[in-house]
Amino acid sequence: MHHLLPLLFAVPLLGAALLVATGRRLPRAVAETTGCAVSGATAALALVLLLNSAPPLVEWVGGWRPVDGESVGIVLVGDGPALGMAALDSLLTLSALVYSWRYFDEPPRGHAGSYPALMLVFQGAMCGFALAGDLFNAFVFFELMSVVAYALTGYRIDEPKAVQGALTFGVVNSLGAYAMLMGIGLLYARTGELAMTKIGRGLDDAAGQGGPDALVLAAFVLVMTGLLVKAAAVPFHFWLPDAHAVAPTPVCMLLSGVMVELGAYGVWRVYGTVFAGPGGIPAADLTRALVTLGVLTAAIGAVMCWYQRHIKRLLAYSTVAHTGLFLVGLGVLTPEGDDGIALYLLGHAGVKAALFACTGALLDRFGSVDEQALHGRARGMRAFGVMFAIGGLALAGLPPFGTALGKAITEEAVGGPLTLVYVLASAVTAGAVLRVTARVFLGLGPRPEDAAYETSGSDERPETGRRLSRIPDSMTAVPAVLLAAAFAVGVAPGLAAVVARSVNEAGSGGAHTSVHWTPHGILLGLVSTLLAVGLAALAVTRPRRLATPDWALPLRRLQSGHVGDYVAWLLVGATVLGALTLPGVLGG
Amino acid sequence: MSQRLRLWLLAVGGAGVAALLVAACLDLPAFGGRRHPYGERAVAASLARHTANTIASLNFDQRAYDTLGEISILFAAVLGCLVLLREARDEHRAQPQPAEVALPVRRYALIALPVALLTGLYVIAHGQLSPGGGFQGGVVAATALHLLYLGADYRALERVRPLGVFDVCDALAVSAYAVLGLAGLLAGTAFLANTLLPYGTFNTLSSGGTVPLLNAAVGMEVASAVVLLLAGFLDQAVEIEEERGS
Repeated sequence: MHHLLPLLFAVPLLGAALLVATGRRLPRAVAETTGCAVSGATAALALVLLLNSAPPLVEWVGGWRPVDGESVGIVLVGDGPALGMAALDSLLTLSALVYSWRYFDEPPRGHAGSYPALMLVFQGAMCGFALAGDLFNAFVFFELMSVVAYALTGYRIDEPKAVQGALTFGVVNSLGAYAMLMGIGLLYARTGELAMTKIGRGLDDAAGQGGPDALVLAAFVLVMTGLLVKAAAVPFHFWLPDAHAVAPTPVCMLLSGVMVELGAYGVWRVYGTVFAGPGGIPAADLTRALVTLGVLTAAIGAVMCWYQRHIKRLLAYSTVAHTGLFLVGLGVLTPEGDDGIALYLLGHAGVKAALFACTGALLDRFGSVDEQALHGRARGMRAFGVMFAIGGLALAGLPPFGTALGKAITEEAVGGPLTLVYVLASAVTAGAVLRVTARVFLGLGPRPEDAAYETSGSDERPETGRRLSRIPDSMTAVPAVLLAAAFAVGVAPGLAAVVARSVNEAGSGGAHTSVHWTPHGILLGLVSTLLAVGLAALAVTRPRRLATPDWALPLRRLQSGHVGDYVAWLLVGATVLGALTLPGVLGG
Repeated sequence: MSQRLRLWLLAVGGAGVAALLVAACLDLPAFGGRRHPYGERAVAASLARHTANTIASLNFDQRAYDTLGEISILFAAVLGCLVLLREARDEHRAQPQPAEVALPVRRYALIALPVALLTGLYVIAHGQLSPGGGFQGGVVAATALHLLYLGADYRALERVRPLGVFDVCDALAVSAYAVLGLAGLLAGTAFLANTLLPYGTFNTLSSGGTVPLLNAAVGMEVASAVVLLLAGFLDQAVEIEEERGS
């Protein structure tokens, strides 16, 4: 079985090559069907492997199995979390491809296969990244994933905004990748190894009785900078709203649903395998760094989310806020925290992708994603209104959605005042989504007047040839299925236990945890849902009370769209990360 | 953000990162050390499989999976560029006018073209024996064709590089690499296992098992990718024009 692991990358790649080779003479329907079929086959393979992932599958590509514990080859690790991420990204790619069935107005002339081919390579790259047990191999797939994402973000070249967003995305993420590569170089210089477990052991051996030194600190900061740029943690997050606002909607479903989360997954994987030993970064320092950045990310993401009227930007900031919550949960380094985040991430992927899918329908129907311009115009789209509201409630953590279960378990794991961060961040982001539902789909409240300094979403071009008068069934079915999946994560009996067991086997040495609904968790979920509904109601009925206060304006101005600013912030972020982890190195 | 604030941020961030890197560099192993755990293993593995160029053995045998990822990056980058460089709604194609080429330039380009092309193919073919290989040779071979653009004109270049053919070659090369990997899997060893072919006589063209084949696939991929990429940019520069009045 373990020999099949590389196929999760090879199959989509072969599918993409087939589409490019025949793309010039292929009718569009055939190209898109091929794309869906290949993506579906990969998803099926990922699920089959996932069901067989206990004990974890380990594959040495090329048959370079270790001799006397040493190997020159590349190792792939197919444990529960890795194959789970691979299955998640495959299923989301499949749903994005189904959603975009006959979706774009015109594929590049004579290149009908380009879009599905790019999506397939994206899927393969995400699978490859999830499975990588070798740090350099992880970097290769990190790059592949980024390159495809830049092209997909700038897909609609007729809009200067799209090209600008893709360029920002490209510059910031490439810098992150270079940082990561430099970090890998430092680790290689110290240990002479590239496999993650071997690097970890090498660091411990090299440190001996002493603790980590400046080289380990620098390597940690550089590798984490790369991964946190991908995860869009503050202050590395600026690329994300700019890219998500302009990327085609099906691509947003993938970027927000799983690619950003892969950054958080990478942080968890790399810290756990490389830096967790005595020669690595002490646990207290990692917790300080991740919890600080995570809380900051959640706070800024939530505040910025609330003050958006461009619906795609709003959802993008909600993703920023949620990755902040993921980082906090992973940062406390408890088995329960990891389990909770795994479930939260699964639920969030379904909900966020569904919300983007609903926004795409608005864009194609009205040529606008502006909350104020669309006021009351989508009254007729009942199904989408209901789904948008359900998505909002699920985002707030309404039991029994998967997001609520994950959030409840994580809240218990982090404990204390950090619980408040979870309740508030999820309530504010969900409140913004519910506010949009009330205004756009129900037409409640007074028509808001225009503010001066705002990115409106009204001059957008629909992604279909012309405005749709009727939304195709595939575009309605996809968000419904995704929401149902997010619901299933919370209620499927035994699923949570299986997820928790496989996460703990991979991350916490098989610690035994019990994950289930608790009265305390349900109560907190209901509190944040009520808070979200209350905020939305207040915003709709008394818009002036919750208008942008003066203190939020400078925060909004930081998102300047100027690539130079974002690069400066990236450097500041790396410095902050170094400063937060410094005490452990000095103490050692 | 004001220019001043931006520069301050850059200075603070840059100083922090610089301090970190300097501190890390002071802890690097001294130059010319004797301990090379990975290098020693890699050379031994390369010799065991009769591959004279250890770098080629690393690229196409020991870490062949990384190389599959890398050519996929190239493949995806070219695909992405062609999507981004396509004709926009407000653009149209114009026929480029032939231009006068100075005679010495024309003569030099036409003489150098076959030489450069042959050099490229030589570098690809000998990748498993001497420095070079598919990546380097592919770039040389692809740029050789473009001497025709310097020596003659754009239309001559367009005649020798039918983009449809290169599109297919690009895809075929990536598939060939992946299919060679699958062959190892089907033979019962592992994906990209170099156990299908005899390793041959050390330091001959056919040595190294599947290394020369994977190397050739990479050469073909890089050559077609560079041609396609340059075609995309040259089309933008030479043929595609913005509509007037838009």
